[in-house]
Formats: sequence, structure tokens, C-alpha cells
Amino acid sequence: MKFIQISLLAAVVALASGCSSPSPVLGGKNISYGDSKAVELVTNEFGSTDLQMIAESMTRSLAQSGVLHGRPVVQVYDVKNKTSEYIDTREITTSIKTQLMKSGTARFASDNNQMDSQVDQLKLQNQSGLYKKSTVAKTGNMIAAKYRLEGSISSIVKRSSDYKDVFYKFSLQLVDVESGLAEWMDEKEIRKTTER
Amino acid sequence: MKSRVLTLATLFVATQLTGCAMFRSYDNELKETNQHLSTGNVDAALAVLEKNNTGEDKDLLYWFEKGELLRSKGDLAGSQNAWREADGMVFKWEESVRLDTDKYLSQFGSYLINDKVRRYEGYDYEKVMLTTQMALNLLAQNDFDGARTAIKKTHEREAVIAELRDKEYLKREEEAEKEGLKTEYKDLQGYPVAALDAPEVISLKNSYQSAFSHFLSGYVYEALGERGLAAPGYRKAAELLPNTPLLEQALLDLDKTPGKDQDSDVLIVVQSGLAPARDSIRIPLPLMISGNLVITPLSFPIMREDASTARISQINLDDKALNLTALNSTSAMSRRALRDDMPGIILRTTVRAVTRGVAQKQINETNPMAGLVMGIASTITEGADTRTWRTLPNDTLVTRVRLRQGEHQLSLPSGLGGSKVVVKVEHPYQVVALRVVGNQVYTAGQAAHVLTPPAPAAAVASLK
Repeated sequence: MKFIQISLLAAVVALASGCSSPSPVLGGKNISYGDSKAVELVTNEFGSTDLQMIAESMTRSLAQSGVLHGRPVVQVYDVKNKTSEYIDTREITTSIKTQLMKSGTARFASDNNQMDSQVDQLKLQNQSGLYKKSTVAKTGNMIAAKYRLEGSISSIVKRSSDYKDVFYKFSLQLVDVESGLAEWMDEKEIRKTTER
Repeated sequence: MKSRVLTLATLFVATQLTGCAMFRSYDNELKETNQHLSTGNVDAALAVLEKNNTGEDKDLLYWFEKGELLRSKGDLAGSQNAWREADGMVFKWEESVRLDTDKYLSQFGSYLINDKVRRYEGYDYEKVMLTTQMALNLLAQNDFDGARTAIKKTHEREAVIAELRDKEYLKREEEAEKEGLKTEYKDLQGYPVAALDAPEVISLKNSYQSAFSHFLSGYVYEALGERGLAAPGYRKAAELLPNTPLLEQALLDLDKTPGKDQDSDVLIVVQSGLAPARDSIRIPLPLMISGNLVITPLSFPIMREDASTARISQINLDDKALNLTALNSTSAMSRRALRDDMPGIILRTTVRAVTRGVAQKQINETNPMAGLVMGIASTITEGADTRTWRTLPNDTLVTRVRLRQGEHQLSLPSGLGGSKVVVKVEHPYQVVALRVVGNQVYTAGQAAHVLTPPAPAAAVASLK
């Protein structure tokens, strides 16, 4: 009995010490982890804060619009990059998609770049003869999108000897595939000015 | 007797110093290497490079040149390894700039150290071209994902360079004002000003942004289905080289729905010639030394164009002539780099000459023989920095065609040896890169190989 009590006590102590002591840190004189949501103002090019701001603003607007009742299926198209900056616009739509998916507001059909993998997998399951029939996904059952989500980002850059001003405009719209009507639309504007 | 011993000692030290790596004649070393490359003997070119770099601690230039030579040899893995070493060195430079730009600028702007004695850091355009060439190596193996990494590194590096140069030019203006120096390269009597003021140099936005590099980014992103990233690649290239139909068309085609045909989108890249050499020229300048106006000969760098390879503007594809669009000129970029650097070079060279003149005068007064020694030593050490990546292709030209999958034949103009190259097209997007030096054509990757070597009659123009 006493042995069990001691063992239990030891286990509690071990667990507690595991919770309280921080993980050891190796090296890292000039390296540190930062807050991924911290406002980034390293340069006035498109950055992480801009991406987060656009994604949050668009998700909120779309979720509150009331268009997405009944968790409709949406197909996301690439956001057209009309700027001269290498902005990975797919990351913006991925963030919007993730947030809408997490909140259970919408479902998403395979988009253009995922379609090849989806078709390949269906072909593999149905044509290779490798899989147990009862587990094979049937063709012809993919759910078509009710809406398509598409947009663009553009910028106006102005420079003088003392200032650099960048203005970004991100527009997104939700279009009903059947009717072709735009059911929701919003835009986010960002201005960044640097004094040299 | 004492003075003779001292003079002999000086001459001995001087002879030793000229053999030292820091006082090497880079032009002579690379002349021989490039001569072998332009006659098709890459192994001999590599042997010369190794002979001239026997030390353990290889510098950036060694890896630059080695990567390009191995690429010409067709050893893409070896070429990538060499360029990865170079990339590591450039990365360290980037880190030092990022961590403390001001410290870096003050070290670089030091007046006491002669430019040619500094550890070679590479010119900005060389850093940009390094990752562009690495991307071409990967594309020769149809590794678009790997090329994407190299391409992304290129734009990130470009951003670091842009920020640094902005700060540097501002700092230099302030320093020139502080030192009271107003000499510009246009004031240097006898300096070949026209080469730096040529329209193709002035029309460049800066020395490091390459229209080819951005066009290639656009192509790689498009091939990977990332149109949002392809668009700025083509757009930037079009901004750098306005009124170029190929670039404008690439941007327009990006919005089109891809056709249903099975043809491949093939990008043919022809890189010809060799980067220009840097030479040193002595120009007398009047300097105020200890209150007296002294005419002092100072060394400044000048560019010497490569004449090994005839200009190319067309190739034949399956017996049909195709026009090539020039997207990159290393000659123009290097002249622009020199043009932008000249105010700094003049400032550093002049301040150093004045400091040396003052010291020389003081020593002459106390110990004339030591003054003589110092005079001889400074004559040897004083000279412009002539190091630069010399095997880098001079011109980069492209053409983009839709081709049916299978074998096709490319042939070069007869003036360039008329070599024939067989190309096997087998992917939806494919890059075929040819390297032309003298009358030799080199290919990389398994998709292209030289069918007929150059005609022996085609003479190799002399390497200046």
C-alpha cells in the first residue's frame, strides 16, 4: 500500500515538474521566436500583417453577409495579382478558406490546382484494380460548387526623394455559378508610407 | 651600402607581393581559362582555374567560375555544388547587411583599404545572376520546384540589395560633401566616359535587376500553375525592358484559358559570349597634399568588352528561322555597376592618395630611404580592382514556342559554327538552354545534346 502511495506521489511530482519546467533552449544568440500576429513594419512591401488584415477583413465580411447560409459549396479561384510585387495571393485565399472552414460557414470544392490530384486519385482507385471494390470512391459523385470566389489585388506606388507611398487594394467577390450574379463583394484598402 | 640593401629588400618584397593572391592579375588568369572554354576544351579551362586557386580558402570568384565551367561541361550536379558554395558566401554577406547595415557600410567605405585587397564580395548583378543560373541548371533537369526556390531567393536578394544601395548612395553623398570632393568620373581626363554613358547603360533602372531573371520567374511560376506570382514576374521584366513584345505577350497570355492541344510550351534560352573584363587605368589628378597642389596618378577601373563570340539574333528550329529577344546584357549591367560605384571609388581613391601623400612627405623629411621604400610599395599596391565573374554569359536571349512533343532540331547560324542540337520535348513546360562561346555550343541536361560540332572553318575571334 505504502509502495503504491509513494509511486503515486512520485508520478504526480514527475508530471508536475514536467509541466512547470520550460523546455531547454539550444544556442540562439540573435534568434528568437516572435508573435506571429505582431505588426510587421520591416519594409513597406506587402508583408505578413497585410496578408492577415486582408484575410480577416474578408472572412468577417463574407461570414456576416448572410449569403453563405446552409454551408454552400464554394470554388476558390486564384486572386489576380495586378501588382509588380511577388505576392503569393494563394496564401490570402488559403487563409480565408481556412477561417471559413473552421467556423463551419462554407464547404469548398477542389480548386483548379487541386483538381489534377483529385482526378488522379479517382482514376487510380477506379482504373488500377489495386483497391477493394467496396472502398473505392465512385466517379460522378463530386459536389459541384454553388458559388465561385474570385478577386484581385492591385497597387499604386509613388516615390519621391523623401517618401515612398504604397497603396494596395484587394477586391473579392462571390458569384452564383448558376445565375452569374455577384452575391457578395468587398474590398480592403491598405496604405503604407515610408519616410527615408 | 645600407641604401642598396634597403632597395634590394624593397624590390624583393615587391616581387613577392605581386605573386600574392591579393595582388593577382585576375585578367591574365581568366584570359587563359576563357581561351580554353571558347575552343571547347572545358577540362583544360577547369585545370587552369584549379592551378590558379591552389589555396585551401577558396573565394567567391573561384566558385562562380567553377560553377559556370562545370555547367558548360554538362556536369550539372558539380555545377550546383560549386554554386551552392558561392550562394553560401552571398548568404553570409546578406546576413551581415541585414543585421547591421550601418556597420557594413562604414566598413566598406573605409578609405584605408584598397578595393583590390578586400575579400571579393561579388557585384550585385553577379549575386542576382548566380541564383538565376542555378535555376537554369535545375530547369535543365525539369526540376521546376527546385527552380522556384532559386527564383524566390533571387527576388528576396534583390530586395536586400535595393535597400542597401539606397542607404549607401545617401551615405556616400554625405561623405563626399564632408570631404569637400566634387570630382565625378566625367571630370577624369582620358577616362572612357562614353562606355558608362551609353544608352543601354543609362536605360537600366539599376545594375542588378535583370529582365531575364524576372521573365524566368514568371515562366517558372506559370508552369507551376501559380499565375498570381507569374504576373509580377512578367510585369517586372516588362517594366525593366519596355516595348518588348515577348514580355507583353507573356503577360497577356497569362489571362487566357490554356489550350486543349498537347503541345509543349518551350522556352529556348541562348546565353552567348563572356562577361567583360575590368582593367585598371592611371589618370593624373591634382590633389591638395599638405597645402601643395600635387599632380598624382591614380588608378581607376575601366571595362573591356569580350570579343570571343559573334552577336546572335536568330536560331533555326526544324529549319525555320526564329528571332531571339535579348533580355539580359552582362556588359550593360557591369558598366552600370561601375557607373554607380564610380563616385565611391573616386572618393576612396582620392582620400587614400591624400593620406598616403601626407605620410610620404613626413617620412621623406625624416628618412628619405624609407620614403623611397614606401613609394615603391604604394606603386605596386595601388591599382584598380580588376576582379569580376568572367565566365558569366554576356548576352541572354530567349524565344518561346509551342512545340509538338518529340525530337526537334536547333541549329546555330553559320557564323557561330553552325552546330546542330537535338532537343527532346517531353513535358508541358520545358526550358532548353544553350551556351555559346566562340564557335562552341554547350548544352545541359538530357533533353538536349549537340549533334554536329562547329565547322572548323569558323574562326574564334581573339579574346582581348
